[in-house]
Amino acid sequence: MSDQQTAGQRPDEAQDDRQDGAAAAVGKFLEFTDGAVASYFESCVHCGECAEACHFYLSTGDPRYTPTYKLLPMVKAYRRARAPLRTVRDMFGLLPDDPTLDELREWGPLVYDSCTMCGRCTLVCPMGIDIAGTIARMREGYVAAGLAPEGLVHATEMVRRTTSPMGVTAKALRAQVEHQEKETGIPISLDEKGAEYMAILSSMEIMGYPEVIGAYARLFKAADISWTISTKAYEATNIGVQIGSGALAREIVQRVVDAAEELGVRHVISPECGHAYGALRWAGPNLIGRRYDFEVVHIIELIDRLRREGRLPIGNRDARRITLHDPCQIVRRGGLLKEPRRLLDAAASDFVEMDNAGIANLCCGGGGGVSANPRAAELQSRAFSCKLDQLNAIEGLQAVVVPCANCRSVFEDALDEREIDNFEIIGLGELVASTLDQDKAAQG
Amino acid sequence: MSFLQIVEGPLFWVAAAVFVLGALWRVGGLIAMKRRRDIAPPTGSAAAGFIRGNLRHFLPRAAFARRTWIHLVGGYGFHLGLFVLLLFAAPHVAFLDKRILGFSWPALPRWAFILVAEIAFAGLIILWVRRISEPVMRLISDADDHVGSWLTFLVMLSGCFALQQSHDALRATHMFLVDIWLLYFPFSRLMHAFTFVLSRGHTGATYGRRGITP
Amino acid sequence: MSLRWFFILLVIPGLLTLTPLRATAQSAGGTVATGVSERGKQTLEDILARQKAALRGLKLAPGTAAAPAGAPAGPDTGPLGPRGNQSLSDIWNRWRGGDPLNLLKPYSADQVMTTSGEQWRLLRVEYIRRYAGWFPLGALVLLVAFWMYRGRIRIRAGRAGRKIARFTITQRVAHWFTAGVFILLALTGLLILLGRPLILPWLGHDAHSVLISAAMQAHNLFGPLFIAALIWLFIKFLPGNLFHPVDLGWILRLGGLFGGHVSAGRFNFGEKAWFWLLIIVGAVLSITGLAMEFPWLFADLRWLQLSTVLHAIGAIVLISVALGHIYIGSIGMEGAIDSMLEGEVDENWAREHHDLWYQEVTSTTGKEKEEASA
Repeated sequence: MSDQQTAGQRPDEAQDDRQDGAAAAVGKFLEFTDGAVASYFESCVHCGECAEACHFYLSTGDPRYTPTYKLLPMVKAYRRARAPLRTVRDMFGLLPDDPTLDELREWGPLVYDSCTMCGRCTLVCPMGIDIAGTIARMREGYVAAGLAPEGLVHATEMVRRTTSPMGVTAKALRAQVEHQEKETGIPISLDEKGAEYMAILSSMEIMGYPEVIGAYARLFKAADISWTISTKAYEATNIGVQIGSGALAREIVQRVVDAAEELGVRHVISPECGHAYGALRWAGPNLIGRRYDFEVVHIIELIDRLRREGRLPIGNRDARRITLHDPCQIVRRGGLLKEPRRLLDAAASDFVEMDNAGIANLCCGGGGGVSANPRAAELQSRAFSCKLDQLNAIEGLQAVVVPCANCRSVFEDALDEREIDNFEIIGLGELVASTLDQDKAAQG
Repeated sequence: MSFLQIVEGPLFWVAAAVFVLGALWRVGGLIAMKRRRDIAPPTGSAAAGFIRGNLRHFLPRAAFARRTWIHLVGGYGFHLGLFVLLLFAAPHVAFLDKRILGFSWPALPRWAFILVAEIAFAGLIILWVRRISEPVMRLISDADDHVGSWLTFLVMLSGCFALQQSHDALRATHMFLVDIWLLYFPFSRLMHAFTFVLSRGHTGATYGRRGITP
Repeated sequence: MSLRWFFILLVIPGLLTLTPLRATAQSAGGTVATGVSERGKQTLEDILARQKAALRGLKLAPGTAAAPAGAPAGPDTGPLGPRGNQSLSDIWNRWRGGDPLNLLKPYSADQVMTTSGEQWRLLRVEYIRRYAGWFPLGALVLLVAFWMYRGRIRIRAGRAGRKIARFTITQRVAHWFTAGVFILLALTGLLILLGRPLILPWLGHDAHSVLISAAMQAHNLFGPLFIAALIWLFIKFLPGNLFHPVDLGWILRLGGLFGGHVSAGRFNFGEKAWFWLLIIVGAVLSITGLAMEFPWLFADLRWLQLSTVLHAIGAIVLISVALGHIYIGSIGMEGAIDSMLEGEVDENWAREHHDLWYQEVTSTTGKEKEEASA
């Protein structure tokens, strides 16, 4: 290479771009390699256990879907430029080359299509490596190199235009809210200053499951809580977190923070949406560089809190045979393990856990931006078979509570595709709202 | 100076020094890289999470045990066996007493030593043959994985060659391999023996703040 | 039952081997020819020479070996005894309890000395140690010859690219675990058995003693692992390894090694034979190995003597056959090793080498294809 250059042959511009792309990715890889990620890279002994936890490997048997393997380009960049004692390895010619653009491109499907950042692999890892969290950082490099999948890039453009990845406008929101007011007969205030709580929702809920809004209205009326929805920041989905763009993620969080602080609310309610909770509750303060003036509370956490305070009297319990899907970002990576179970125990009389329920539950296969990435559609559908096996193992199952709008649409699409309709998919808030004791609630 | 004296004397001390300094440098380097600051209001303690994460991952989760039992048997058998041999084999206790520490502790009786050695060898062999016979393992394994496994195997094997304790040549072979192993250790993946604390700890701390230990 | 009947069954091959020794032992006892000794003089060299000659047994000069048993000994060549050159055979016979070659005769209180050890040693030195090495070597020669004749057995239709699951990860790990322990035991075992004739003359006593000490420790250590491996292997590979009438065809066509198509199920007769040979001979090796590792468990010394003999013979058989197994499983046949490295085999490999199994696992597609071709 250098010989050719000295011979007077100018490298063409495409070559330059390619090197720039790879260099940008490597730069981000290194920027996001802190002591934690470095420890992960150093401690991995290539035992392959993580494959046994990954629904993409389990459903395809393809060894390339081994979680630790997905990190390889970033590991190489780390070994070359950051690893302690790398000079000694260099003396023996043992340093890896930096990943090339072609290599990164080849790895794209492993970084985006076959990882929902569900974090199940961490459970089985003897070293406790947070592969999902590292994939999230790796995606920053991919965005920097312009290698993010088209579907996700398209969604980010939509977000920049309309604030919502599905293009949900404030007008559409108003229409859905009005409709729910009519359904429930309860007024719902928009942009109300001084309200105690501000709810944000995911596009999927607003357009696909607007009854969620009605459920909020009933629950909060019963508990006598003042709440509102901002028409400036109603979108909870954070595509920036999914695609791996810190800048975009910060922008989206900032919008919610600005709206909430403008309205002066004390709490912001994160909806039944997996990554939205992580984005606002755990990543958000780090993204905008300060803590909020309000508390972020997940809707499940809030309902559970209200019920335990006796403010949500449960009437007739749902008698159907119901099981619970644990959305990864809410349970395994969000810490809300007991809350949904307490609510289900109270609201359903025949609640059964599925295999591996709780912290080790399987992902639906569509999280982490996978469901927004058409390139991954087939893989996502195959990965759902693991989830389906869990459901099929429960005899006489009538309903599955899926407290995440994204998981929920993944479930519904996958069941439609397979023409399975012997059980219903419901949200947790709606279930609790539908079992409220109306008389007591009215008195309260 | 005989070969035995060299491998038990100067070479051993050089190897031990490289081992200690290299391992300290590498672990120190990782600690010096720091974690990204997390200012989100916590619901649990990061420090407690660090410890919980470390302890939790000593035990396998039932959800995966059915699929990974071979690895569990191999992994526990080898590691537990290795530590018992390292610390409680009579010649090791004597070596540590006379050469390094100046005090000793009760060593294993011979029958127990043999039993533990069987378990450790079985574990190591299982771990390595799994590495060559599973597509996942074949894909993710690199030279370091194999060199580390084989070097450790040869150290253990030469140790057992010397079991009769009647030939200096065998003792010297064992010690020579130990020296090589010590020299290789800090530059290799064998370092997981120390770095596991950090990696489990970082994950434990991150999620400990969120009130969960994945 | 005993022990006794069991012993008799095990010992028959040993006895058959011993038969030729009977003549030489007697002739050796009766007419040892030593050209070196002076008349009536008993020097150290003299005694050593006689012992060496006795050790050689069969190697006596034709004239002396042919001398009839019990012929009067020359005054200068007779056995050494308290009465000089005069024979005390009656006394010796009585002391050792009658027939020295009857291994079946149990110890008794009136027996002063046993001589079965000497026969055991002769058997070991003159037969086992002398010929053992030739069997693995012979196997290698056969394999080289077969390689030259047949070359690598290719997948005739080429690789299909589609894979069929053949061995689970448990089966693969059980296989390689056994293989690893087997190789370690074979190498150390051959060293122990053949070190004296093969290594000692080259490296000398010191190096030989170091090697043998190391080999013995390792052999004793890995032995018990082999027993565990064998049990694991037996459990994991028994299904599919029972004999089936189809195997007769395989035997008649010599496994298709020399051409022609043979049908086979999940395992062909060759694999089944190897499986059962390994299990049965492996069991013998295990039991005899335990006898040697824990000698105090066996009161009768002859058990131990028998154990060493059976152990060596069994090991040589297994090592020789294992070479063939390794050959056909690796360089000898394209696509064979995939099953043990990845757990999957190419569809065309399965079709060509295990057609019945292939049809079984792809039953619907197999039928369709048959119908299509018909």
